[in-house]
Amino acid sequence: MKRREFLASAAAAAAIALSPRLAFGADGAVEVIVGSDQNVADFWSNVVVPALQQELPDLVVNVTVSDGNSGMMALADRALAALKTKSDPQVDVMEAFNPRNTIGAIDAGLWLDFSKASMSNYAKLNKLAIDTNFGLPYRGSQVVLAYDSNKVQTPPKTWAELTAWIKATPGQFIYNRPDKGGSGGNFVRRAIHEANGRDPSAFTAANFSKEKADAMLPPAWEILKDLAPSLYQSGSYTAGNTPSLQLLVSGVVSMVPTWSDQALSGLKSGELPSHIKLAQLQDLAFVGGFAYCTIPTNATNIEAATKLANVLISPAVQEQIVDQIAGFPSIEWSYLSDEIRTANADIIPKSIPAFPDGEWEAAVNDGWYRNVAPAIARN
Amino acid sequence: MGSEGTSTRNLKGLLLIGPPLAVMVCLLLYPAGVSIVQTLQETAADGSVSWSLARYHRFFTDPYSVANYVRTVWTTVVTLILLIAICLPIAIYLHFTRSRMAAVVQALALFPMFVPGIIVAYALIRYIGPNGLLQSLLEVVGFNSYSSPYLTPWGPVIGLVWDHMPLTLLILTAGMAKVSQEAIEAARDVGAGYVVIFHRIILPLMVDSLLVVMALNVISLFGSFVIPYMLGPASPEMMGPYMLRTFSEVRQPDFAAAQAVITFLTCSVFGILYVVMLTRKQDV
Repeated sequence: MKRREFLASAAAAAAIALSPRLAFGADGAVEVIVGSDQNVADFWSNVVVPALQQELPDLVVNVTVSDGNSGMMALADRALAALKTKSDPQVDVMEAFNPRNTIGAIDAGLWLDFSKASMSNYAKLNKLAIDTNFGLPYRGSQVVLAYDSNKVQTPPKTWAELTAWIKATPGQFIYNRPDKGGSGGNFVRRAIHEANGRDPSAFTAANFSKEKADAMLPPAWEILKDLAPSLYQSGSYTAGNTPSLQLLVSGVVSMVPTWSDQALSGLKSGELPSHIKLAQLQDLAFVGGFAYCTIPTNATNIEAATKLANVLISPAVQEQIVDQIAGFPSIEWSYLSDEIRTANADIIPKSIPAFPDGEWEAAVNDGWYRNVAPAIARN
Repeated sequence: MGSEGTSTRNLKGLLLIGPPLAVMVCLLLYPAGVSIVQTLQETAADGSVSWSLARYHRFFTDPYSVANYVRTVWTTVVTLILLIAICLPIAIYLHFTRSRMAAVVQALALFPMFVPGIIVAYALIRYIGPNGLLQSLLEVVGFNSYSSPYLTPWGPVIGLVWDHMPLTLLILTAGMAKVSQEAIEAARDVGAGYVVIFHRIILPLMVDSLLVVMALNVISLFGSFVIPYMLGPASPEMMGPYMLRTFSEVRQPDFAAAQAVITFLTCSVFGILYVVMLTRKQDV
């Protein structure tokens, strides 16, 4: 009996110790919920928050990692419900969340309009990065070409040059299956853009229809089928971003598409040797995207949260984004130091095309497997 | 004692198997049953539900799905044959040898049990992959026409053989315990050669173990995911990756469920075989 009593009291004590944490948001601390991984949360704790604390030394900021995008969606739903009942949403800043994801939230006035929030750094933002005024872009990444500079002297600058190079040097290029990683996925999307007049605006989240997909995607499958015999092993496709880079580093292939942040951090850490170089297509770049922050208009600490957002897009923090997490800045590159600009000259995007998720994505994933992948003439 | 004792004992027995049975029913049989029934139902736009085999018809008339199914059967059969061909001699060797070498062989053969599949996959990419260690070693001895099995149908076969060796070997060494040294020696005394001993003494005693090996491995191989995903070609793909892709990437959960039922039915043939083996053993 003694033991049982002890267990019961210990459990009660633990519950009391935990309960203040459940009531967060009430003690004046700014609540930042991070939708990305721990490395990004660390970046917030070590770089972004201290940058604001120089100005507001008494400010307390809690940085919490959520459970991926589904966790963020649930938080946004809760904030929307709190807006309707005029209660505390218990979140001040949401990191890596697209305000368009919660249907009706923008119309209901849930999200702060950053363009009207009188933030001193807002005018510095790269216009390419702004999708809506309700999401603050703060770091980006894009698919680029990584090539072995010992074997490729002049990297291709256009899609036509790239495909000509692939055909002229059979077996030296590979991309991953489009559903297994964005590097191959966005290579496939670039072919889709090529087949549709290089016009990314032809694809939006709302304009999907089966008829449209049946008309717009098959020409891209023809382009990719035409390339297949010239790929590694006459048409093999790796199972992810990392296996592609593995083949590049081991000297099996000379060029692969890759995510800019993955390649840059690999080059920095030495995982990718220095003869691996990066290039971007100039006629129409590969698809990329930005991570957005949102602030609910009903947030308890909206003032401090807005200041935090302003610091986030300050040149000092943006340089750290390039330097520490190998992201693209969301402000114009001209605000960054010359040193960082010249180091990244090859990959500074002239445009960052987008491609919608949802039904278009599903159609691309299914269509590629059915049309492109089986077209392998193995010998 | 008498009848009261027996019924209390029976009740205790029922109480003991109650919780696992409840878990099985709630978490396995019920949801599986619901999803099997749903693959046979079609909901019309007005909400009315009708019975239909359309998803199965679609699977078996879709050359892409059939190719994936055939590839899965091929991989399972080839892997199983290789597993037995590799593990049976090792089991026989371990049974008749009591040297330190035998302990080393056994430890090596059981080692894969402690390595997670994803690590095996990445390690094999580096080892058997293009410009990998194996190719470099072969080139040292003058063999220059190595063609890597990575991303070909043989990639998953090699990975799966590696992954399934410990279980196979454990079952086969356990089965070899039935083969007595005396029987072999008696056969030798009357002039039986190795082939005859294997064919007439070892094999008949090992049939049960081989059937268990087959049943357990087929179930596990048929639904394998990580290794075919990492080492295999994009197309045709095995049922594991195909089901996941249909579910999450192509976003057709109903069609993915139909694929799962087909996989399940194929495997259940071997599951039944395994259960029959077990109950037959208890009858003896």
